[in-house]
Amino acid sequence: MGGTIAPDRILHEMADLWVSLGKQSEGDAGVLRACSMTLVVEAEESDDAQAIGETLAALMPEHPSRAIVIRFRADDRRTLAARVFAQCWMPFGHRQQICCEQIEITATDASIPDLAAVVLPLTAPDLPVVLWCRSPRLFHLPAFPQMAAISQKVVLDSEAFNDPAGILKEMSAALAMGRSLADLSWTRLTRWRELIAQIFENRAQLANLPGVSEVRISSCSKSPPVEAFYMAAWLMDGLEKIGAHARLRFDSAPGVASGELNRVDLIARDGPDSIASIVSIASIGLVEGHAAEVRVGGLVNRAVLPRPTDYALMREELSIPGRDAVFERTLAAAAKLAADETRP
Amino acid sequence: MSLENPFQDPLRFERQVPECALAIFGANGDLTKRKLLPALYRLAYERRLSAGFAVLGLSRTAMSDEEFREKMRASVKEFLEDSPFDDDIWTAFAQGLFYMAGDVHDAALYPALDARMKEIEGQRHTGGNVLFYLSTQPSQYIRIAQGLGAANAGTGKGWRRIVVEKPFGHDLTSAQELSAELHKVFHESEVYRIDHYLGKETVQNILAFRFGNGIFEPLWSRNYVNHVQITAAESIGVEGRGAYYQEAGSLRDMIQNHLLQILATVAMEPSATFRPDSVRDERSKLLRSIRIMKPEEVRADTVSGQYGPASIGGEDVPGFRQEPGVNPDAQTDTYAAVTFFVDNWRWAGVPFYLRSGKRLPKRVTEIAIQFNAAPLAIFNGNESNVAPNLLILRIQPEEGISLKFLSKRPGTGMKLRPVSMDFNYGSSFGERSPTAYETLLLDAIIGDATLYTRQDMVEANWAVVDAIQHVWDNTKFDFPNYPAGTWGPKAADDMLARRGHVWRQP
Repeated sequence: MGGTIAPDRILHEMADLWVSLGKQSEGDAGVLRACSMTLVVEAEESDDAQAIGETLAALMPEHPSRAIVIRFRADDRRTLAARVFAQCWMPFGHRQQICCEQIEITATDASIPDLAAVVLPLTAPDLPVVLWCRSPRLFHLPAFPQMAAISQKVVLDSEAFNDPAGILKEMSAALAMGRSLADLSWTRLTRWRELIAQIFENRAQLANLPGVSEVRISSCSKSPPVEAFYMAAWLMDGLEKIGAHARLRFDSAPGVASGELNRVDLIARDGPDSIASIVSIASIGLVEGHAAEVRVGGLVNRAVLPRPTDYALMREELSIPGRDAVFERTLAAAAKLAADETRP
Repeated sequence: MSLENPFQDPLRFERQVPECALAIFGANGDLTKRKLLPALYRLAYERRLSAGFAVLGLSRTAMSDEEFREKMRASVKEFLEDSPFDDDIWTAFAQGLFYMAGDVHDAALYPALDARMKEIEGQRHTGGNVLFYLSTQPSQYIRIAQGLGAANAGTGKGWRRIVVEKPFGHDLTSAQELSAELHKVFHESEVYRIDHYLGKETVQNILAFRFGNGIFEPLWSRNYVNHVQITAAESIGVEGRGAYYQEAGSLRDMIQNHLLQILATVAMEPSATFRPDSVRDERSKLLRSIRIMKPEEVRADTVSGQYGPASIGGEDVPGFRQEPGVNPDAQTDTYAAVTFFVDNWRWAGVPFYLRSGKRLPKRVTEIAIQFNAAPLAIFNGNESNVAPNLLILRIQPEEGISLKFLSKRPGTGMKLRPVSMDFNYGSSFGERSPTAYETLLLDAIIGDATLYTRQDMVEANWAVVDAIQHVWDNTKFDFPNYPAGTWGPKAADDMLARRGHVWRQP
């Protein structure tokens, strides 16, 4: 049997929810309603609902939002169902609750064309809409552009796509059409990139940079993952800016997990040896996979790389409401690199 | 042509720091163990320091580099707050720790220090950048500056900066003498006078709150603000520092620096940019606008207090004069309350009440801005229907901001009740806030002096405080005048009552 949902009814249920929360609150403290955006999460029904819920709950204190979680089921019937609840936390030792509203929609594939019309009125007025698409299949559904069109930013995770060259090309095309995109595979690189950038805050190391003749990027998979293309594109772009013309080499080596980067080397022509590694970042601490070893000249340093959980990655992306010029430039270059690499 | 780092991404990266070495005088002291090294380790843990960052510790105790590292490791493990201790990270960080024994009064120390710094520079690629940190007795500051000057250690291949801990003198004259000696070796822009209160997140957040939001600043003046209260209360006594404290007192130890800097941050004009000198110019201007009291005003608008013995929670607590090392007739103020007025167009006539004391009921630092009540009480009822709005900026222990306003109580009739809108740093942001020393050390390495105190600011502070201290020094107080564990002498309540105000109970 089919079913649908009326946005007005959901909004009414939300209003009732706030009244009920207010009644439940103890004493005179009341409930504080917090909202800085609408966060739409698209996920498959098989996706871990509890993990999504925990990620959203963790994000709420810093990025309070009206969360609309849409769970998709492969089904020919046009069915939409919704329920409303609140995420609350008590930051002040039980003085006052802060709550964010959450709407959970269950949709079948057949009902997808109806979805944008349902979600649009449910978005919080005057605030940005961020769409987090957690599944490659959903990204490729014909109705996806409609959902993307009501969002100011679309967040994907290209690591979940099996074809790095293909997804980079698609994202690059979407970017060229003016869409604001974010990719959690790029976000995963932030700490790596920060370590590299920090090395060249040292003037002596910076002076060596034009002498880099080779960039080596090593990952755990047989062919370079999306992260490797991003890292390569970003490094080559930086080197070009200062007039260095380096060769690029992708390597495969056993490491922490499939797809992850495990080493980046910038190799100079004229080091103390015939080839000197002036930068080498290698993942260590395999149990946690969260430490990096940085070799610069004769110095070896270790730094913690926080585990890139969905929470940590989304938290970083939600902190960037506008466009990210560095990412956009890198994405275009990474798509080109990936296409060249996979060309027969 | 100088190269620029092509890998910077300010949208996502934290501020990047240049390579440098830190030379700490007083490396065997409490501040180094409790605050500096834990802060530096935490910065290393957070990947905030350059790869070759180095620390050279100096003090009189003979120790090898390895012994120093072991000692610092134990201190970091003991005093690290809200952070895990990671052996691998420590091992890498400790490679950059070095030690040198020497007496700051020995002229031979300084050329040897210079030579050791050059050795470290070659080993750690620190680029010749050196940050000196004076964590010694204040009486040694001038000697160290002179020693560094004589050994030409104040100049070199890279930049040189010096961090000076408070107190910056004990009055205006001595503060000027200290600055003059420092300036023989370091330019004022290279002198970083540290006031750790300014490094606290909430103090910085005052600037964000005032100048990042459009809705509060129009209210931030004599037209809407009734008065301001700044409280820095400590529940502990002098904790073995009686001998030092009886020479300082609350007015010099807290109000002269921390609280007046907070007052300046709350009341300053917006700066044109967030560049260090732009912000500090405005702070300085404000401090110079504080009215310097005449002797008769000191008697009316200040209160000096000293705690006496009491029983707190069933435990007998000694009075200040019974503390070890304290003169039994000491006239030291362990409590000070002052009514300041800022003589400018924005604040003319608005009292700023500052109080600080030891052995008060709880440890709390906060700023309360009380707005004028609504001009007309149109809602009949009890007193709570006319309660004025209150904005509270909490600095410690629970950093945050609260706004109190009136709301209608549910039901028929128009009964109002005060409600509070709260923002709490700890719970509103998922991440841990850096400690004040992490913030300030990083700022000094980067060369950002925004949160440091400049000579003109220190002198303006002393000019205000000296006028009070002079009268107090010539007055015989009937101490003790408040029991430990209370909110201070009754005279402090009377001081506010004369203007129709009462102290908040934080």
